[in-house]
Amino acid sequence: MSSFLTSSFMSNIFGGLAQGVIYSLVALSLVIIWQSTHVLNFAQGAMAMFATYVGMTQIDRGLSYWWCVILSVVVGMAFGGITERVLIRPLYGKPEINPIVVMVGFLGVIEAVTTAIWTSTSRNIAAPFSQIYFKAGGKLVLLSPFIIFQIILAVVIMMLVAALFRFTRLGLQLRASALAPEVARLLGVRVNRMLTIGWMLSAGVGSIAAVILASGSFGLFPTNMDGVFVAGFIAAAVGGLDSPVGAIAGGLIIGLTEQFVLAYWSPSVAPLGGMIVLVAVLMIRPHGIFTRSVSRRV
Amino acid sequence: MRWLRGLRRQETTPTRLISVAVLTAVALAITFILPPVANSQLAGGAAITIVILGLSWLIGWSGQISLGNSGFMAVGAYAAGIWAHHHATTPLIFTFALATVVGGLSGLVVAIPSTRLRGPYLAGMTLAFSAAITPLAQNFSSVTGGEGGIFFNTLTTPGWFQHLFSGVDATINANAQWTADLAVMTAGVTFFIMANLFHSRTGRAMRLVRDNDVAAELMGVNLSRTRTFAFVVAASFAGLGGALFSLINATVRPETFPLTLSITLLTLMVLGGIGTLSGAVIGGIVYSFSTNLVSHINSLTGVNPASNLGANMQGIIFGVLLILTMLFAPRGIAGLGIKAVNLRHSRAVLASDENVN
Repeated sequence: MSSFLTSSFMSNIFGGLAQGVIYSLVALSLVIIWQSTHVLNFAQGAMAMFATYVGMTQIDRGLSYWWCVILSVVVGMAFGGITERVLIRPLYGKPEINPIVVMVGFLGVIEAVTTAIWTSTSRNIAAPFSQIYFKAGGKLVLLSPFIIFQIILAVVIMMLVAALFRFTRLGLQLRASALAPEVARLLGVRVNRMLTIGWMLSAGVGSIAAVILASGSFGLFPTNMDGVFVAGFIAAAVGGLDSPVGAIAGGLIIGLTEQFVLAYWSPSVAPLGGMIVLVAVLMIRPHGIFTRSVSRRV
Repeated sequence: MRWLRGLRRQETTPTRLISVAVLTAVALAITFILPPVANSQLAGGAAITIVILGLSWLIGWSGQISLGNSGFMAVGAYAAGIWAHHHATTPLIFTFALATVVGGLSGLVVAIPSTRLRGPYLAGMTLAFSAAITPLAQNFSSVTGGEGGIFFNTLTTPGWFQHLFSGVDATINANAQWTADLAVMTAGVTFFIMANLFHSRTGRAMRLVRDNDVAAELMGVNLSRTRTFAFVVAASFAGLGGALFSLINATVRPETFPLTLSITLLTLMVLGGIGTLSGAVIGGIVYSFSTNLVSHINSLTGVNPASNLGANMQGIIFGVLLILTMLFAPRGIAGLGIKAVNLRHSRAVLASDENVN
């Protein structure tokens, strides 16, 4: 058993899953926004990164790690809500390129402002978990307490989001306004408020991903979410932008693919692995694996 | 302004040629006045103009969003750089043609899966492409020179041009201006090609595909072929622009083509005006003198350019400009110009109506 755990195959599985859950969270946050407002938020990664900076740098002022995590999520949610109100609301009903361009611009602004405030130097956020790998029979298993924490936290967040959508009144209202805004409005759902809440929820999930990423060996720097955003988007597109389950599965697929490409070919071509999966999936199913096929209105 | 008429839609190719030739000649004349530093900036702007022309064609006329044009630029630049590294004596025009063709081929590769996709899927797909291309270049460092890149310096100022200059810095000034002139002429040629393409049968078909693909299909337009063609043209323009851009910098290296370059290109195109020829030129000019603009704004607002904020001012200004343009003037500077002309025209019509009454 221990020789199985320490094999290079299992190491890659662990590494891929650890990275994959981060992609899953980012993909999930993109899907929540896509479902509610049909905007692909290109600034999702940068917004989460900014919130993490605001929250996690409070460690320097003596706040504990966990309070900083909560602060990051709260800041992220507020940021998401404000963004929807100020930047996205004027663009509903406009051509679909308009919100894409605006969010790409927002991405540039956030990264520049963050670099201006905190410089581009990477900083380490010390999580209260060891990053030293476990050993089994004298050999390394590529799992550390931190990686286990990372996977558990991500799974808990995903389950909370699923529970919110499935079992609460708010979740029902959110689903109703995404599916049929006009009907929902007639039935007394405040659709506009739901859109804002959808963005807040999504930004909160994104912030968790950024916090996990920053707490690990990767560190926190202004562009640290760029690659993760691209991978998260690929994951969402592979799963289908309409499907939260697809987003989570897509994240794991991309995480594992990248890990195996990295291990068996070269670290610098890892992003290419994700892209090849994307191309392969989209050639067969242009709207992703888990989405129902849609008929286009003429 | 009769000679500018050639840029209008209904005009014929010869008139268009005259207009573009006059505009290029004006730009060439300006390079004789500008100081060498400004000429170098202008050269960069001309290269960027070529890329924006392709991007504007792709996004504005075929309706396909691409965030991958910095990747196409990188492909063209590496093709030219690697070729020139092994065959230093090749005439520049051949190197540029190679960059154009290889850039176009990379566009074809990206287009085959991408033209089936719409909107955000397409944007993300092309983004993934441009994110993957520079790590790929770094991976094959024996060919591409890795992080440091390859030296790409086959530009030699001809003797007769040297002789126009005298004084202490004659060689430097001559080189700077020759680079600018070459870039401006290349941009002029591509501008002429794009002007014809915009108003060609394919260009009209392209707009129909963008606005109503079902109608286009019923008219006998092959949708996927038209969309693929749009990608190939945009990518070959980007490839040429990238090669020219790297020639001006004298090196081809990964850090010239970061992901943010795609954002910059998008900003310049939107700022100039999506789907307009003049918008691409406006975007190029803004790019040329953006550093001057930023340092001017820095001094106006009293921000220390050496400070952290000063160093990131360009990113902030570009991003804010992109957002504001999209929210309040989505057709860009060229669109505002057209609007002003139309407004004056309708006022004149109104005034003449009142006279009749």
